[in-house]
Amino acid sequence: MIDPTVSHRAFVAPAVPAAVPVMPALSATASDRDDQGPALDVRNMSIEYSDGHVAVRNLTLAFPKRSVTAIIGPSGCGKSTALRAFNRMNELIPGTKTTGQVLFHGIDVYGSAVDPVQVRRRIGMVFQKPNPFPKSIYENIAWGARINGWTGDMDELVESSLRQASLWDEVKDKLKRSALALSGGQQQRLCIARACALKPEILLMDEPTSALDPLSTSKIEGLLDELKTLYTIIIVTHNMQQAGRISDMTAFLFTGDLIEFAPTRQLFVTPRDERTERYISGRFG
Amino acid sequence: MTDRTRLSGELSRIDDLIGEMAAKAGEALRMALLAMKTQDLELAKRVKTGDAEIDALQVEVEDIASITLATQQPVASDLRIMVAAFKVAADYERAADYAVHLAKAAKKFAGEPRSRLVERLARMAELDGKMMKGTAEAFRTRSPELAASVAAMDDMVDAEHKAMIDEVLDMMRERPDEAERAAKLLTTSGYLERLGDHMTNACESVVFMVRGTRVDLNE
Repeated sequence: MIDPTVSHRAFVAPAVPAAVPVMPALSATASDRDDQGPALDVRNMSIEYSDGHVAVRNLTLAFPKRSVTAIIGPSGCGKSTALRAFNRMNELIPGTKTTGQVLFHGIDVYGSAVDPVQVRRRIGMVFQKPNPFPKSIYENIAWGARINGWTGDMDELVESSLRQASLWDEVKDKLKRSALALSGGQQQRLCIARACALKPEILLMDEPTSALDPLSTSKIEGLLDELKTLYTIIIVTHNMQQAGRISDMTAFLFTGDLIEFAPTRQLFVTPRDERTERYISGRFG
Repeated sequence: MTDRTRLSGELSRIDDLIGEMAAKAGEALRMALLAMKTQDLELAKRVKTGDAEIDALQVEVEDIASITLATQQPVASDLRIMVAAFKVAADYERAADYAVHLAKAAKKFAGEPRSRLVERLARMAELDGKMMKGTAEAFRTRSPELAASVAAMDDMVDAEHKAMIDEVLDMMRERPDEAERAAKLLTTSGYLERLGDHMTNACESVVFMVRGTRVDLNE
């Protein structure tokens, strides 16, 4: 079980120039986490790449708190592009233009006063391929927390994060060993632990199990079920069965448009749109 | 366009099997009714022995649907067809069992093939036969409208059953020595009434299969 023992208040914002304001609503407190609105409220978001290709068109979607939302769709439908836009990762791709709003605690994360580093701490990302730092298992957790201003008990943070990722029992006796010596599935759980160590509110996951074997996939799917009691999880997956197994809500994107967004059970049993039906039943895509 | 030839093939096979079950169960009921009317006990016996074929068809439907669920992971309308196939096949298997019960009862009504009460049983069986045929057609053509109209026929079966109860009670009051025969009439009538209910349930499965909504056609 998850042991969320570490207080968010142990994070102290690192020194920033006075000219860079800190998002007021991004100071996490328990009350923030208990409010009723969506975890992320995306409004009319469009994303255009430098070559003029519009990858996402006018996306409006409210992600419910502490639940798993799967984004599905054929290759090139814009799902990964959309996911990266939720925590401003697309800004790292030169020439990418994002319009619309991504409201987090009512604040547009694209607002001029918002620090993208803070956004990415509060809205974490786990990628398709495990990408641990070439450091020890311990440092993989500690490093990110340290540079983000963690002042609490580091050993405690490392343990609780690894426990959250269901990895503690497997690595507790080898924390000083290189993370690169872990198996692929363990590395991916380490990356999840690393994201959890920053105490995000939302975890974005871009096909986090596509490079893993069935057993490792199963462990991570089970893990998501536990993590959603603490975090809001938005996962992009090509695996329709996985979306059906793990998610509470599912969004279907097709050629940059949101076609259908519904409770997963409904979408997989009685989809409303013919295109959804054809895609999830494997008749195109 | 992705090819789902195998899944389409399995769905088609399930359609065929449900159709075959419906035809065989319907034929069993027709034969049981004829056996009762003509006192042809040999025919009644054939209904009983033929039931194994219908049971085997149900097992085949379940096997194909189970393997398809495990290997093809159908969703949406494909999934609903699988769910409906399990239920409709079970309803036809049960319907065939009631046909066997009717056949077994044939010899109990020896000597009175034209009695009013036996004629009522015959009317119920004929209505059931129409429901069985209509349900299979609704399943094959994916028609919730036909399913609803077939299910509506159950009211007539229920009315015949209710009238049977009233008449048998009168008979028992007037001729207490015929209690055993009266009990058999009521039991058989009850089987035929339940058969109509099974077809109504199968019609509800057809509506779910096509529309994805659950309806109560028994109201």
